[in-house]
Amino acid sequence: MNEQRKDILDLLAEGKITAEEAEQLIAALERDQPPAASSLDARPKGKAKYLRVMVDAVDENGEPGRINVRVPLQLLRAGVRLTALIPPQALGKANAELHKSGVPFDLTQLKPEQLEALLEHLDEMTVEVDQPDAKVRVFCE
Amino acid sequence: MPQLLTVRVKRPGGRPIRIWVPVLPVVLVLAPVVVLALLAAAVACLVYRISVARALGTGWRIVSALPGTRVDFTQGRTAVLVAIR
Repeated sequence: MNEQRKDILDLLAEGKITAEEAEQLIAALERDQPPAASSLDARPKGKAKYLRVMVDAVDENGEPGRINVRVPLQLLRAGVRLTALIPPQALGKANAELHKSGVPFDLTQLKPEQLEALLEHLDEMTVEVDQPDAKVRVFCE
Repeated sequence: MPQLLTVRVKRPGGRPIRIWVPVLPVVLVLAPVVVLALLAAAVACLVYRISVARALGTGWRIVSALPGTRVDFTQGRTAVLVAIR
């Protein structure tokens, strides 16, 4: 509730104005409000549907290269569910290989709910890497 | 479920190749192979003690989520596009 509307209701509660007057004042208040601003507030925030990876690079021969990948976030969500199906012995082997490669990451501690939460907030993420001969952009749209 | 797979290959000095693959007819034609693959997957699930229903459900979710996927590579005058609709 905005401040002016609250003031009108307060005046009505205190008996300083009648119900009719309060109604007229609220109607006048609504007329004065710019419709564009109110519709913008009411509009739900756009939900990202795709993860985009764009790479623009120039190879050693000077030829320009471009990679443009669009992956539905729904596919990532479905992929995350696959993690619940990985047998524990496979996770153990993967952990051992990760440790060997110098990545001390325990995959058994990674829960599908955590991955889901990560995906939920992925649409706010943008990664941009700018180099003289390459440009990488990862974002959601 | 994916309806159409589009593959476009452009090579320098050659005509661009465009292939449209209607997924459903192809799956129907390859139905015996698909059934065998599903059986093999079910056996693998049982061997590794994974719920067959859950695995099939997840597999179906992945297949259903494929439409909208688009991979586009361009290098010089060579380009490859794979799009799923």
